[in-house]
Amino acid sequence: MSIRTSLSERLFNGCNIAFFIFFGLVTLLPFVNLTAKSLSSEAAVVSGSVNLWPVGFQLGTYQYVLEDAMFLTSLGNSVLLAVVGTALGLFVTTITAYPLSRLRLRGRKWLLLMFVFTMLFSGGLIPMYLLMQALGLVNTMPALFLPAAINVFNLLIIKNYFEALPDSLEESAKIDGASNVRTLFRIMLPLSLPVMATIALFFAVYFWNDYFTAMIYITNQDLKPLQLFLKELLVSSSSEFLKDNVDAALNTTPQSIQAASILLATLPILLVYPFLQKYFVKGVLVGSVKG
Amino acid sequence: MKRNAMIALAIACMLVLAACGGNNGASSGDGGGNAEGAEEPELRMLMQYSLFDPNEDYMAKAITEKTGFPVKYEMLPAENADEKLNLMVANKEDFDLMKLSAPQFFKLATAGALEPLDELIDSYGANVKAAIKEPSWQSSTIDGQIYAVPETGSGISIGEELIVRQDWMDELGLEAPTTPDELYTVLKTIKDEKGVIPLTGSKDAIFGDISAAFGIHNAWNETDGTLAHKAELPQMKDFLTYMNKLYSEGLLDSEMPINTTPKAIEKFSSGQAAMFRMAWWNAPGLVKALEQSAPESEIAVIPYLQSAEGAAEVGISTAITWYIAIPKASENKEAAMRFLDAKLADDVFKSLAIGEEGVHHEVKDGKYFPILPKFNDDLNNGSAYMTGTNEHTYPDYWQARVRKDPVLQHYYETFQANAEAAEIIIDPMSTAPPIDAVSRNTQKLNKLLTDAVIMFISGSRDIAEYDQFLEQWHAEGGAEMVASANEWYQSAGAGE
Repeated sequence: MSIRTSLSERLFNGCNIAFFIFFGLVTLLPFVNLTAKSLSSEAAVVSGSVNLWPVGFQLGTYQYVLEDAMFLTSLGNSVLLAVVGTALGLFVTTITAYPLSRLRLRGRKWLLLMFVFTMLFSGGLIPMYLLMQALGLVNTMPALFLPAAINVFNLLIIKNYFEALPDSLEESAKIDGASNVRTLFRIMLPLSLPVMATIALFFAVYFWNDYFTAMIYITNQDLKPLQLFLKELLVSSSSEFLKDNVDAALNTTPQSIQAASILLATLPILLVYPFLQKYFVKGVLVGSVKG
Repeated sequence: MKRNAMIALAIACMLVLAACGGNNGASSGDGGGNAEGAEEPELRMLMQYSLFDPNEDYMAKAITEKTGFPVKYEMLPAENADEKLNLMVANKEDFDLMKLSAPQFFKLATAGALEPLDELIDSYGANVKAAIKEPSWQSSTIDGQIYAVPETGSGISIGEELIVRQDWMDELGLEAPTTPDELYTVLKTIKDEKGVIPLTGSKDAIFGDISAAFGIHNAWNETDGTLAHKAELPQMKDFLTYMNKLYSEGLLDSEMPINTTPKAIEKFSSGQAAMFRMAWWNAPGLVKALEQSAPESEIAVIPYLQSAEGAAEVGISTAITWYIAIPKASENKEAAMRFLDAKLADDVFKSLAIGEEGVHHEVKDGKYFPILPKFNDDLNNGSAYMTGTNEHTYPDYWQARVRKDPVLQHYYETFQANAEAAEIIIDPMSTAPPIDAVSRNTQKLNKLLTDAVIMFISGSRDIAEYDQFLEQWHAEGGAEMVASANEWYQSAGAGE
């Protein structure tokens, strides 16, 4: 079946395509530039002769970064954080969302309101730090994923998804003698894979990219996640930081190595996207169109 | 930036809260200790940010081995270091030692977070006392009490000087300029003949070789026993007029106000610019890059320019870079001082500064040379662990770090030799103790000045308005700052 397209429609499509190709390229360019820098000799990078293609090709930067104990430690930390944080976040958010999605839960409205309240107001940084310190969590890994385990925004998305599932499914499970827990894990969850994948991706990306929490709670080098390492690598090479500090200036990280570090730090999370993409699109549609 | 502002605000509240009756819940009181140094308690030291793992480094092990103290190191973050420091101090984190920058030191000392050290030094700090010279102590003394061990760096050394593409100078038959007027002619010829940017630089590099030739040497300058900030100097207008001329005729990089240092290096090393004020520590990278992009090129250093009176002068600040303080919250104050003292025993200090002779360094003609790569492998991060230096010996030791690379060494030594040929003028405020009005205003006023100077140079503000600007500068804290500085200077016996 072919639909006839009018001239204006084709024109519109053409413009659209050109526009998006242009923007796609614009977002791609920095990556290409970084890749070229990471593969070029330092001398070429310093003199600014590297644009989109490596000059003075070498792979030593990657070898250097991949042998760097600090990079590897923090990579390990980030992977651990992303996996544990995502698993925990997903679990806690789901078991909270399920009861909140059931109309038979008494006081549901008030409970929900309490969750939503935290979206708008929070204790702030200092009370949080005090709390973490009192709990003995400063300089520990849980400080990075416990406070973020429930994200109310994610909670609402999952709750809405559960609400959209037909009540009759739950009723028939109940008739067959399933408990609440069983209903959640055997009936609701298998039907909610798209939203689960989406939220998992949200969590994973959040934990992967978050450096601020670590900057506040972590001073132990062995516990720093990759993004904090990266941030510090870049900041400690900036002229602002090196001003008046000759000894630090003598030890700066070459720009080609900085580029390689950035790429290697971004790659893992980029690799996750394609596998979750199909769920992702479905998941984001949640609630928009009701069949 | 909004987040930064929020943090700052939050921390201000925090400090107030902490001041009103600190309830220190979770002090971990580590009795366990570690088996090796059973006799000495484990110390916890806070360092400035540096890109390495402080507990895994050779230096950490060497220090524990030499002093017998097990030490646990932690670093401030690279960014928002001040906020994090305040957060930790307000929470009474039990650090035993802190290596602080000058503003950090002053803030904590006046907030009452640091332990006065006079008694500890008298009882346990014989080596500390012997290692550090009197003027340095002044800079960590507030109201008659010492609050930190001051750490000077490498002694008097000049960081930056103008460099030029000598191959182009030869091609055009130009001599190295010796005065601002000659410099103008050289730049003009380069522009007309080569069509490149004659002089590039970054925003932080406005003051230096050229301003010194106009009599603006340092942030603070002394005339007839009175201190004046550089903003107040009458020469400022001449300097700005000159720079404005360079700018408006295209002799000064029009992007100078937005250039970063790497950008300026890029312009010079890619052959887009002919002259640049380089820091010697940037020399290896720059020289290598230029060699690659223009193999036939040649770099020459331009000796410090002479003023109209024919005097070449160069300004330098010898201010203390780091302060080693013992916080009030520490439970091992006495041990912390004994640790500092042990590190400054002559033989220990030498081995921590340049390692073992024959392994890490060798002596040639009475000068210390590093043995590579062992020196770099083990001692590269040595400076970060320093807690006070022996001011009599360290400048010599330190130079081993410069001799790691022939290019580095060449530029370092050329700059120092040129500075010695000229007259070195030390910033009179270098040895000043922390002065409230100065600490409070310096950063803000420097920014105000830099922003205004850029506007004057680029012509977006008329130099005739300079007096108006100075009035504003004075009103926003400048007058108060200059008055306090002079008050100290007079009481310290002007000019010694």
